[in-house]
Amino acid sequence: MNDIIFYAIVIAVKILVVLGVTLGLGAYLTWYERKFAGHLQVRRGPTVVGPFGLLQPLADGIKLMTKAPILPRGIDTTLYYLAIMMALIPAVMLFAVVPFGPSFKFMGHEIKPIVADLNIAILYVFAMGSMAAYGTLFAGWASNSKYAFIGSLRKAALIVSYEVVLGFAALSVILLAGSMNVFDIVNAQIRSGIWYIVYQPVSFILFLFCMLAESGRVPFDIQEAEAELVTGYNVEYGGMKFGIFPLAEWYLNTLGLCVIASVLYLGGWSGPHIFGSFSGYIWLLAKSFGLLFFVIWVHWTLPRYQAKDVVEFAWKYLLPISIVNLVFTAFLVYFKV
Amino acid sequence: MIKTKKLKRSDKLGLLEAFLFLDFVKGLSITMRNLLRKPITTQYPKEKITPPKRFRGKHGHFVYDGEEPPSLKAIQGFMSFEKAKSRCVACYMCQTACPMPTLFRIEAVQMPDGTKKVVRFDMNLLNCLFCGLCVDACPVECLTMSDIHEMSVYRRSDAVLNMDEMEYIGATNAKAVRDLPDRIWRDDKERETLWGKIKWNF
Repeated sequence: MNDIIFYAIVIAVKILVVLGVTLGLGAYLTWYERKFAGHLQVRRGPTVVGPFGLLQPLADGIKLMTKAPILPRGIDTTLYYLAIMMALIPAVMLFAVVPFGPSFKFMGHEIKPIVADLNIAILYVFAMGSMAAYGTLFAGWASNSKYAFIGSLRKAALIVSYEVVLGFAALSVILLAGSMNVFDIVNAQIRSGIWYIVYQPVSFILFLFCMLAESGRVPFDIQEAEAELVTGYNVEYGGMKFGIFPLAEWYLNTLGLCVIASVLYLGGWSGPHIFGSFSGYIWLLAKSFGLLFFVIWVHWTLPRYQAKDVVEFAWKYLLPISIVNLVFTAFLVYFKV
Repeated sequence: MIKTKKLKRSDKLGLLEAFLFLDFVKGLSITMRNLLRKPITTQYPKEKITPPKRFRGKHGHFVYDGEEPPSLKAIQGFMSFEKAKSRCVACYMCQTACPMPTLFRIEAVQMPDGTKKVVRFDMNLLNCLFCGLCVDACPVECLTMSDIHEMSVYRRSDAVLNMDEMEYIGATNAKAVRDLPDRIWRDDKERETLWGKIKWNF
């Protein structure tokens, strides 16, 4: 009985910590991206609110929340509000299977710093990624606006191109580790002493492509294309209803996928023990923030693809490459080379 | 002289480029180089750039102070000028040259001794496009332009520039601009902090 209460408290604490950390980080990633993008373009970024503009996310939040709620005419109200939830909830749920560090002993119990230690965690990540796409689709459909609708149509084209490649890319890592559990994958990398990026460079690059596509980052941000579609699928949303979409897609989803990518390919929390008992957490954060840095760097460098080009590129080049890579890996694993 | 660099590129990527993402790396290196540069932003309300000498800002009237051009000296006997007041002769040349003539409201009266006195010279700056044609047209070098460019007002009537204000601008800002050497920037020190040193061709 005592154990059940203990584990309930532990899970509640985990959920609160993960929610707080991810939402807070998501808000501060807006500051980080604006500052970074500013300096990439020889500007300064936010400087006015607080030292180095550090209070800018707060000011943005207050601004978004105090805006007049405007509903466009002819919308599908249920879907209009459902779209916001469909965008935000899968993006937050993604962090349920993100392992933040190695398991440790606390009051005689072994605790894993993960909300839900699923044995099909990677499958769950794909599922949540696919669910998040519905937010975009619903937003475009419910808005009764041609720009939003074109944006969501483009997202639909994007989904059919990246989803399959993402699965095949990650499958080769799952083959190597022999498990879909994130702890097993990381432990397998720690045991062999070599990160899977060394074994699977092609798969890593494919995963990066799909990560950019899934989180709507350049060069695959065709569904929100500021120049042509006036930010695309979320054009009819205002105030915090609008603020949720970039928060969910650009920040939470990207951060979650970056952590998953560092777990799959960069050895998770493995690294030299130079920060004491916190070194695992710090290594994982450093790796995922390195990936995030790369994603934002790419975002502010490259132009964007056309929708048809993405589909063509994904089905003609990426998918065959990923299948060949997968078959090759399967042979190696089967014959234990 | 600007040198143009011509690049020859084939339509398709080479094998090495395609596999090592060379174009991609080139683009990323450009942004990374920019990241390491100092920002060139002027933080406007806190720091302001001095406009160049040839900047066309708010209009002013040069005053009657003994520095008149010969064209004015020839007719100043017919005008009733006062010291440190506008030297406008109400010839309407500025209005004639203006692409939007209705923005001028110029009135002159005949004094009892037969001389001419300008009593009103209003410019509605909401209609003005700051082309400077009125300044070129002025035969007595009275109408001029200063470096004042912050001209926002709360009411439309405040945007109308009257003669008193133009005399003040002419005596202060416009005079300061007129006496500068003809360089594009007023002081090189100010500009160099923003855009680095420029080599002049002359």
